[in-house]
This record gives sequence, structure tokens and C-alpha cells, in this order.
Amino acid sequence: MAEVLVRATPLMLAALGVSVGFRTGFLNIGAEGQLYLGAISITWLGMTFPTLPAPLMLVLSLVLGFLSGGLWALIPGLLKAKFGLSEVINTIMLNYIAINLVGILVRTSLKDPTYPYPMSPMLPASTNFLQLLSPTRLHAGLLLALVCAALVYLLMFQTTLGFCMRAVGLNARACQCSGIAVSKYVIISSLISGGLSGLAGVSEIAGLHHRLIEGISPSYGYLAIIVSLLGRNNPVGIVFASLGIAALQVGSMSMQRSSGVPTSIASIIMGLVVIMILSRKSLFRCKEA
Amino acid sequence: MELVVLSSFLAATVRMAAPIALAALGETISEKAGVSNIGVEAIMLSGAYFSFWAMFQSGNVYVAVFAGILGGAGTSLIHAFLSLRCKADQTIAGLALNFLFLGLTSFLFLMQFGKTTTLPSITVLKPVALPLLSNIPIIGEALFAQDPFVYVLYLMVILLMVFFYKTEWGVILHAVGEAPRAADTAGIKVHAVRYLACTANGVLGGLGGAYLTLVKLGFFQENLTGGKGYIALVAVILGRRNPLGVLIAALVIGSAEALQIRLQTLGSTIPSQAFSMLPYVVTVLVLMLSMGKGHNPAALGLPYERDKR
Repeated sequence: MAEVLVRATPLMLAALGVSVGFRTGFLNIGAEGQLYLGAISITWLGMTFPTLPAPLMLVLSLVLGFLSGGLWALIPGLLKAKFGLSEVINTIMLNYIAINLVGILVRTSLKDPTYPYPMSPMLPASTNFLQLLSPTRLHAGLLLALVCAALVYLLMFQTTLGFCMRAVGLNARACQCSGIAVSKYVIISSLISGGLSGLAGVSEIAGLHHRLIEGISPSYGYLAIIVSLLGRNNPVGIVFASLGIAALQVGSMSMQRSSGVPTSIASIIMGLVVIMILSRKSLFRCKEA
Repeated sequence: MELVVLSSFLAATVRMAAPIALAALGETISEKAGVSNIGVEAIMLSGAYFSFWAMFQSGNVYVAVFAGILGGAGTSLIHAFLSLRCKADQTIAGLALNFLFLGLTSFLFLMQFGKTTTLPSITVLKPVALPLLSNIPIIGEALFAQDPFVYVLYLMVILLMVFFYKTEWGVILHAVGEAPRAADTAGIKVHAVRYLACTANGVLGGLGGAYLTLVKLGFFQENLTGGKGYIALVAVILGRRNPLGVLIAALVIGSAEALQIRLQTLGSTIPSQAFSMLPYVVTVLVLMLSMGKGHNPAALGLPYERDKR
């Protein structure tokens, strides 16, 4: 059960990011890459300033993680807002670039010289998140994710900024006509969207791995899209959806251990779930305009 | 000596570009009809898996190619159903398909072949050198001493150029993508055209996937396409949905890929990831260069509903 929560943490953070993007009409497929950038940032911070006190380290790593993920998402965001380039393609390409970037870094500047395998050294204890239930791997990243969910809710539904962002997502053309600077909100949304995914990367390193390794994310970034869709881009929905998807994943792994069913079954189920959601209107004749 | 290196590099470029170009041509047809399918990756994976499976079972290339085409077309039709009949968001439907087929192909593969240390493999297609043409220095080997798929690709480019710009069918296709309501008023069955376009997309994408297993690799593994479907989408945008342009765009990206493989084998101290990154970086850069000039079909990505305005 704790393992489900551990897995749900990065999903929740990344999906919150994706949902902010979706609400503004910015299809952020790049949560995966933004997550990796967040992970790189905290590793760099921990290795460069190992002597910082823990509270300062915590704040810095969160800020830096948010910024690095956000800036990575800002590239496609700017390209979309200013030049109308498809953010879908750009975010996907940036994912591959980020994954390879981690591969390069753990072999060169962030490599642990005393260890033959490509990974960074253990980060100083000051970067680590609090462990919540000692024998399990549950860490304070979950609390971070829940706080972020509340913040995203407040931002999107209680502030003018959030209102404008949602309006842009609903009808960019009408917003343009009524004097709302569409591109500004697309850029802001890409920044927040990527930033939250970056936090997912920070929480994975700080809470779980404590060092940068290749493949820290079993495509959390892509799963986040499904989570966001399942949660109907609503922070509360996302919290529950991420728990559901995480349970599905953990379940598929224990199924493989016990009865040899390949874990890819989880990916099949998720694909089918989304297809069902998309086709429900005409298949089941739901009343919805 | 230099010439030999250059000519083999060019040949590798064509081999890298061929699957991307095939899938991209398919997506071009689909996008011209107003259906944007992000699920090219799924189409290619499905084509790759089913052609490999059929080749392994039957040993007959024609059966294998046919299976690849069927796999691709089937995948594309799921997307067509979701986006045309259910009027779902086409991007999300495409993403869902990518997920589904990433899981499905590796699941089927594991079920069929089990977990083995040696990958089950098939013999790959041999290149066929065209007489005379293949003797042209430098480009001869690259262009005319390739496998049959590449010749099919050339043929497709020519056929599509004629189809798009010289036939009434091409006009109908454009009409459906640009102004579906006007097309409907003129008596064109919008959905029928779109379904056909999606099928064509699946056939070509399936061929592109089949290329990967039947010609290039000779084996199947999880996530074999590794983003080639997405790169094909970029080739479509870069080539401005013009078949020749798409081919050239695919060649540019293919050359980046051929280059990164050459660089990796040089054995420098730079991590190989720096080179694997290259095609993706080139893709983003080239995409930036193309900005502002693209012109999307007006109804791209929009479902057509007859009774709504």
C-alpha cells in the first residue's frame, strides 16, 4: 500500500503540471523530460553545495527544480505562443533530449568517480526528504504533491490568472478578440506545467533514489497525461486518478512476480481505459453535449 | 577512399530515412483530409510487430508485408473511429493508441516467444541493385542499390505528387481537409474520404514499421520504434505536406541518424548518448527553421459534425 503512495507521488505532481497545461490548451507531452530536468537540478545542487543546511537546501532544491522543469517546458511554450509551432512534437523531442542528457551527465560531470557504473554519487543527507513510515519507502514527497494539488486548485479556480488561463484553453480565439493576451497565458501555463513536473523529478531524487541514475522514471511523464485525463484536469480528480494508476502499476508488478503476467498489461489497460473514455459518448449514448 | 565513406554514409541516410518517410507520407494523406494522428508511433509499432510475427511464422516476405500493412491499417482505423465517429480529441486518441500498442506489442511478443536470452530473428531483405543506375558515382549506391521498400517509397512519392496535385481525387482530399462543410454541400462524403485517408495512413505507416523489422533489424523488441513515429510527424510539418518535401525532410533527419551511428562507432570518450541525442536536436532545430511558413489544413484536428455549425 505504501508502495502505491510512493508511485502515486511523482504521477500526481507531473499530472498536476500536465493538467495546468491542458486547461490552457497547451498539450504538454513533455512531463517526462521536465521531470528529468528537475532531477538533474537537485543532483547538481547537492553535489555543488553539499554543506548547505537542510532547510535552505530544501527550499533551494524545490525552487531550482521548479525553475529547471519550467524552463524546459518554456522552450515549446514560447515556440507555440510566438510562432505557432506544435508543442506536441517539441515536447516529445525535448523528452528524448532530456533522457539522453541525463545519460551524458551521469557519465561525465555528475558521475561518481569511485563507482564503475554510470550514476551520480550519493547526495548529502541534507537534500533528502523526510521518510514518513520508516520501513516503507514512503517519503515527504507525497505531502509536497498534496500541497501542490491544493495550490493548483487555488490558482486555477480562485484567481484571475487561473480564470484567464482556463478561458484561453476553452476558446483562444474569443480571448484574443476580447483583449486577453493569449500568448502570455500560454507561456505562464507552460512554465507552471513544466515546473510541477520538475518538482516530480526533485521528489523522486530527494525522496527515493538519493542519487541520479538513468531511467529514474518508468515513463511517469507519459502516465501523467493519462492521470490528468482520468482526473478530468481537476486537482482533486488527479489525486485519486494517480492513486488508481499507481495501484494498477504496482498490481501489475506483483502479478508478474506471482503469476508471470507481463507488466505491459498495465500499459494495455491504460490505453484501453483512455479509449473507452474517449468513445464513451457514442458507444454508451451518454447524455453530454 | 573518401568517396567510399561518403557513398556508404549516403546509403545509410536513405535506409534511416525510408521508414520515417513512408510513415510520414501516410500521415500527410491523413492530415490533408483533416485528421491529425499522433498515433503514428502505434501504427509503426503494430506494423513492425505483425510483419515480424508473420515473417517468423510463414517465412514468406509477401505475407509478412501484408500482415504489417493490416496491422498498421487496423491501428489507424481505431484512431479514425475515435476521432470521426466518437469525435474525440485527436491528439489524445493518438496518445492513447501509442500507449495501447506499446503495451500490446510487447505483451504479444512475450506471449508468443517467451522470455529468451537470444532474440528470435528473421533473415532481412537483401538490397536489389538496379542495373546501370546503381553505377552512378556517389549517389548511385545510395539511391539505386537499396531494398524493394525504398523503390516503393520512390514510387509512392511520385504517385502521391500526381494524386495530390493532378487528379480530382486530390482536390476532394484537400476540400475535405480545408472546408468539410463546403465539401459536404458539394456532395462529397466527408467521413468516407476521411476513413479512406486514415486507412492509407495506416497502410503506409504499417509499411514503415515493417521496414524496421524486415529490412533493418530482423528482430522485434519492446518499443522498437523508439520515437520514429513522432519524428515522422515532424517530417510531415517540415515537408509542408508536399510528398517531395516530406521525403527531403525525412532524408535530412535520416542523415542526422546515420551520422550519429557513424560517430558512435568512432569510439571517442564522449558518451554515446551525446550522439543518440543528435537526431532529436536536429529535429527541433529544423522545426524552428520552418516556423511561420507552415500552412495547416483549415479543418485539421477538428471533427466534422453535419448537424452543427
